[in-house]
Amino acid sequence: MTIAPAGTVRRTAILSVLSLILLSPLAARAQQGARLDVFGGFSYMRFDSTQIGYANYSNLYGWNASATGNIKLNLSVVIDLSGNYGSHLDVYNWMFGPQYTWRREKSRFFVHGLFGKEQTRANLPQPTRPYFESVGKSYGGGGGFDWDFSPRLTIRVVQADYLRSETFGPTLNNIRVSTGVVFHFGHIGHRPRL
Amino acid sequence: MTGKVDRKMLVKTASDPQGAMARMTNSIAMLGSVALLFFLTGCNAASSHTAYLSLPQSDAVAAYRIDNHNAKFTTIVGSPFFTGSSPGPVVVDPAGEFLYVANRNDDTISRFKIDSSIGSLTEVTPRVHSGLTPADMVMSSAGDFLFVANTISSNISVFSVDSASGALTPAPSSPFATPPNPVTLALTPSGKFLYVVNSNLALVFGYAVSSSGTLQPVPLSPFPVGIGAAAIAIDPGEKFVYVANSSDNTVTIDSINSSGTLATVVGSPFAAGTTPVGLTVSPSGQYLYIINQGSSDITAYSIDSTTGIPTLITGSPFSGGTTPALIVSDPDGNYVYTVSQSSSTITVLSVTSGTGALASTGQSTTTTVAPASMFVTK
Repeated sequence: MTIAPAGTVRRTAILSVLSLILLSPLAARAQQGARLDVFGGFSYMRFDSTQIGYANYSNLYGWNASATGNIKLNLSVVIDLSGNYGSHLDVYNWMFGPQYTWRREKSRFFVHGLFGKEQTRANLPQPTRPYFESVGKSYGGGGGFDWDFSPRLTIRVVQADYLRSETFGPTLNNIRVSTGVVFHFGHIGHRPRL
Repeated sequence: MTGKVDRKMLVKTASDPQGAMARMTNSIAMLGSVALLFFLTGCNAASSHTAYLSLPQSDAVAAYRIDNHNAKFTTIVGSPFFTGSSPGPVVVDPAGEFLYVANRNDDTISRFKIDSSIGSLTEVTPRVHSGLTPADMVMSSAGDFLFVANTISSNISVFSVDSASGALTPAPSSPFATPPNPVTLALTPSGKFLYVVNSNLALVFGYAVSSSGTLQPVPLSPFPVGIGAAAIAIDPGEKFVYVANSSDNTVTIDSINSSGTLATVVGSPFAAGTTPVGLTVSPSGQYLYIINQGSSDITAYSIDSTTGIPTLITGSPFSGGTTPALIVSDPDGNYVYTVSQSSSTITVLSVTSGTGALASTGQSTTTTVAPASMFVTK
């Protein structure tokens, strides 16, 4: 199979986010939420390693964690960390940014913008050094869909982010998809009537 | 059971349209998520080649990936990779597993393991000794022998190559003496004959290569070429030898007979531009490109496959960059790459199918210092 051009990947990512935005008003009208959401889970990254000389894009697997402080029911600040690993590659992202959430019964859709740093390590042992490493800025955005399993526990069905990074010189267009669980702490908004 | 569930759902849908809408939204979101994952994991990358250039002033080899579709160069992570002192000729074995570079000040050959997915290099020590000032190298198409022309010690080192480890072992009786100052060499695709250019004497010395790698002069060797012979190439069909004569501004074309003896093609030598210092034959054997350092252009010929007589391609000479010193054919025959040492620039030209004419692609890249040699892998 031939590769989809980078432009197609970008379009897909943008369409995914737009789909979430367009669909989410149907399920909106939140009433309550947690003060703090802590997410942890599995993460897949389609890393644009062709920009640093690899023959192919790299499929990296790892973890994604985030802490979301809810300022209002719909407006939050998120700190997002991830580590993805693959053939000779370790990629870490440290980012933060604003998040907007639409809530509807047990469903939540969110979109966010992320800004921060990416550290890319190519594990290619040389006589003089064990690896090559570069740290550069990273930015992008994405969104996701959560489903409440219990008042304190939510399943993050999917979180998809398009991340642009600048390590080793060129600009890399990466896509990260994560899934996992979200734990809720504290409370904001109107409590339901008993 | 199913009917009960369906009825409940219908009742719920009728009485709670917002809930039904939410469930539908959730379903679409989940399906979209799965589709996205399938899309992301189902793609592979475009085909590409790798290119390696020796950088004598940096004691390193630069590594690039070249996209087959647009000839765009991408620096391979970790590049440049350090070598011995003043690296010159670079070759990669036919399997693409090992790279060899001759260190001209160290009189050694460095062996690098090539990462198959990345193209990055890791040196495998120890380095092996060549003769004094290894000026050029060529590997057999089977990858079993490496031949090195040593300019100062005036001999040819022959190494047998271990197919698994890439390790080099001197062949019996290696090195083999050759007249003073060999500058470059070429091996026939079958590996049967080796031709060594002696620039000072304006001669090419032919050797038959035995199965053990020993060299024996072919009948009637040496063979005259022009003054200032600087580069040599052999067509893939093993029919003709081409030599660029930098002082004569000509190219010599000889035919190869079954014993390795060379015979001058009618009309040879043929005109080139000013100071031809390099040449390359297209993988089809149909076209010959000569890089002219003095006139900064490329003389292009189509070759009659029977007689070897060249015909100038319409539009020749083509622009070849600023004072180009090297020219290399793309293994697929779609491009030629010219290397300028004065500007440290690699320029990509596309080959027009059917005519062999060259056209600018707009693609180029620069190295940190002047390259001495370039090798493009299959």
